[in-house]
Amino acid sequence: MASNQFTVASPPSDAISALKFSPDPESTQFVVSSWDKNVYLYDLRDENGSVGEGKLLQRFEHRAPVLDVCYGANDNEVYTAGLDWDVRRINLATSEQTVLSSHDAGVRNVVYSKEHSLVVSASWDSTLHVHRVDTSADIPPATVPLPSKPFSMSLTATKLVVAMASRSLHIYDLKALALLTEESGEVVNNKIEVEPWQRRESSLKFMTRCVACMPNDDGYASSSIEGRVAVEWFDPSPESQARKYAFKCHRQAAEDVDVVYPVNALAFHPVYGTFASGGGDGVVALWDGIAKRRIRQYQKYPSSVAAVGFSGNGKYLAIAVSPGFEDGRDDIPEGSVNIHVRELGETEAKGKGAK
Amino acid sequence: MGKKRRGPTLEELLARPWCYYCERDFEDLKILISHQKAKHFKCERCGRRLNTAGGLSVHMSQVHKEQLSAVDNALPNRSGLDVEIFGMEGVPEDIIQSHNQRVLTQFQQAEAERQAVTGNPPAGTGTGQPSAKKPKVESVSEMKKRLAEHRAKRAEAINGSSAEGTPVGAGQTPPTGGFGQSPQSPAAANQQFSYPQPYGAAATATANQPYQQTASPVYQNYSPGGQPQFPAQYTPQSFQAGTPGQPFPAFGTTPTPSPFPQQQPQPQVPQNIASPQTTPGFTPRSGSLPTAPSLPQRPSFGAPQVNSYQMQQMHMGHPVPTPPGASGADKTPTPGAAPDDQVAKPAEATEEKPTKKDKSKQARLVYSDNEISPEEKMAGLSRYAFVPNRQGETTVERAPPSTIVGTIRDTDNTTLDPTD
Repeated sequence: MASNQFTVASPPSDAISALKFSPDPESTQFVVSSWDKNVYLYDLRDENGSVGEGKLLQRFEHRAPVLDVCYGANDNEVYTAGLDWDVRRINLATSEQTVLSSHDAGVRNVVYSKEHSLVVSASWDSTLHVHRVDTSADIPPATVPLPSKPFSMSLTATKLVVAMASRSLHIYDLKALALLTEESGEVVNNKIEVEPWQRRESSLKFMTRCVACMPNDDGYASSSIEGRVAVEWFDPSPESQARKYAFKCHRQAAEDVDVVYPVNALAFHPVYGTFASGGGDGVVALWDGIAKRRIRQYQKYPSSVAAVGFSGNGKYLAIAVSPGFEDGRDDIPEGSVNIHVRELGETEAKGKGAK
Repeated sequence: MGKKRRGPTLEELLARPWCYYCERDFEDLKILISHQKAKHFKCERCGRRLNTAGGLSVHMSQVHKEQLSAVDNALPNRSGLDVEIFGMEGVPEDIIQSHNQRVLTQFQQAEAERQAVTGNPPAGTGTGQPSAKKPKVESVSEMKKRLAEHRAKRAEAINGSSAEGTPVGAGQTPPTGGFGQSPQSPAAANQQFSYPQPYGAAATATANQPYQQTASPVYQNYSPGGQPQFPAQYTPQSFQAGTPGQPFPAFGTTPTPSPFPQQQPQPQVPQNIASPQTTPGFTPRSGSLPTAPSLPQRPSFGAPQVNSYQMQQMHMGHPVPTPPGASGADKTPTPGAAPDDQVAKPAEATEEKPTKKDKSKQARLVYSDNEISPEEKMAGLSRYAFVPNRQGETTVERAPPSTIVGTIRDTDNTTLDPTD
C-alpha cells in the first residue's frame, strides 16, 4: 500500500522552521514558516477543488526569519513568531499583519488555543506571552517567566506543555492561564507568576527538541537531540506515570559507532492518535505510542526533516525537508528545501492495536 | 515435447522448511530463519532481531525490563515461549506430522481441483494438454468406464513391475488393501508417490470388474485423494529416507479388499485439516495431536500467499490453548535437523553479546550541543541577524561543564557528555 507522494511546487528558499496544517478537517491549507523571512500559505487543492500537487497561494514577508507559525480561530488567521522578537497575527484574506506583542529576544514558538481563545508565545528571553484574542478590548498580554529558554511548545484542549533548556518542562493549565491573563492588567508589567500545573524533568537525558501533545489530551511525546522519543502521560497517578517510556530512533549504525540524529519534529495524527517523528537523518517514521510500535518508516529524504504535520482530517502528511543546522552546512543549496506531501492510505497511520 | 511443469511435487512441498509459529513455508532454511527473526523474534521496542523466543525474552527483560509473554505474529496456539524454535529445530514431532498431513491434504485437494478443472492427468504424467479445458462433466457410466480402465492399467502396472527390484520410498506395506489390489507393495508404492500412470494410456479393462460397481462419482479423488494419506503416517524423514518395512499399523497389514476402497485408506488426517474431498472416512488418529485446531485450510497452491500477519488476523478471537504437544518434553529434534543443532546453539549463546556491546557502543551525536538549540545557533549567523544588539540570545551563561547524569538544576549548567 504505497502512499501517494508529491512535492509541493515553489518551496521556501531557505530552511523551514515550521509547518502547520489548518485544523479544519475540510481544509487542505497549510502554512510554512521559513528562515527566508517569509510565511508561505499553500493549498493542496487547486482551483477546481481537486487535490493536486499543492500550490502556493500567498507569501507574507517578515522583517526577520520566522521561527514558528500556527493557525488561529479559522482558516483566515495565522499567528507567527520570529527573530524580529514580535508575535504577529496575519489576516490571510487581507494580508494585514498585526503585532500582538514584542519579546526581548527571538520568539521561538507560538500556539493558539481554540478552547480558550489564547495565543501563547514562547521566547528565548525565557518568558511566555499569553494573549487573549477573543475580545476586541485591548487586553495587554500577560508575561509568564520561565526558568529556562523554551525550545518547544504544544497544547491540548486544556493544557500547555512548554519544553525548555536544562531538560525542564512545564505543564500549564490553560484555564488558569486564561483567568490570570484577564487579571494581569493590574500587575506591573503584566507579569504574572503562574505556578505550572506540573513541573517535570524531561525523561530524556539530552536537550529537548520537540514536544507534541496527544489529541485526546492524555499526554505528550517529546524528542531530544539524541535520537530518542519519550511518551508520557499527564495524569500524575503512579499508574499513569509508570506507563511512560522512551525509545531510540533516528540513528544509523556506521561501522562501530552509532550516528545519532536529533529528532526535530513530532506530530500526532488527529484521528488515530498515532504520531510521526522526523529526524535529522531525513527519515520520517510513524509510531503507535500506545502499543509501543513503529507503524512504518518512510524512505530517507536527502536532508534533515525540519517539520512534519498531519492535515486536519488526517489524510495527508506533510514533511518539510531542509538542510538543518546539524548537517554542518552553512549554505543552503538550491533545491534542497522541499515540502513533500504524502496522501495516506486508509489505515496507513492507524495503529495496529495492542497485541 | 517438453513437459510443462505445473507446480512443486509433493516431495518438494514436504521438504520445504516452514515456520512453527505461523505455518508459513519457505524456499530454504535461511529465509525461514530470517522470517522468524523478523516476524517472531523481533523486539518491538528497539527492533532488534533475536534468534529465538528465549533470546528475545532475555533481551526484553534485560534491556527493556519487560516480560515477554507471547511470541509475536504467531498462531494463537503457537505463541508459547516454552518451545525453543530456531528454524526447523525444536519443532515438536507431532506438530511436524500434522503439518505434513496438512501439506498432503492440500496437495491432494489442489491436485483434485486442478484435475477437475482441466481434466488433465496429474502433474508429471506428461500427457497433459496445455490447452485449458472446460470443466468436464462426465456421465456416471463414462466415469465407471474410465475407472475400469484405470484399474486395468494399474493391475497391469503391478504385474509388469513385479520385476522391479528397487522399492520406492517407504512403500513397503502400503494400503494396497484399500484399493483392493493384491498387496504387491513396490508397485503400489511406486504408484503412490509419483502419480505416474497416464490415464489415457492403453489399458485393457479386464481386471477389477467387481470394483466397477463400487466406483464412486468422486472418481477424481480416487487416486490423488486416497493415496497420499499413506505417507502421512510416517514422518517425512522416514518417508524421504525410504526406510523400508515400517509397519503400517492401521490397516496395511490387513489387506482385505473393501467394498468402498476410496474411503478406506484415509484414516490419518485429522478432521479439522481435511479438505472436503478427503474428509468422509476420517477419524483423528488416536494418540496423535490435531495441532493448531483453528488452523485454516492453507491456500491452495498458486493462490496468493497469506502472510503471517493476515494469518494472525484470521485467527484473532480464537484463543486456543497451547497444544499439549508443545511442551518441552516433546522437543525431539527431527533427525534431519539434528546436524544443525550444534550450529544453532552457539549462535544463540552469542546473541546477547552484541546487546552488551550495544550499550558501550560509541554514539556520535550529529548535534551535540546540549545547551544551545540549533535554532539559536542559526539565529546567530550573520545572514539571519535582525537586531544587532541581541542580548537575549546569550541569556544563559555557560557554566564550566560538569558531568551530571539525571539531575536537573535550575540554572543552565547541566552539561552532559554526548558520548555518555
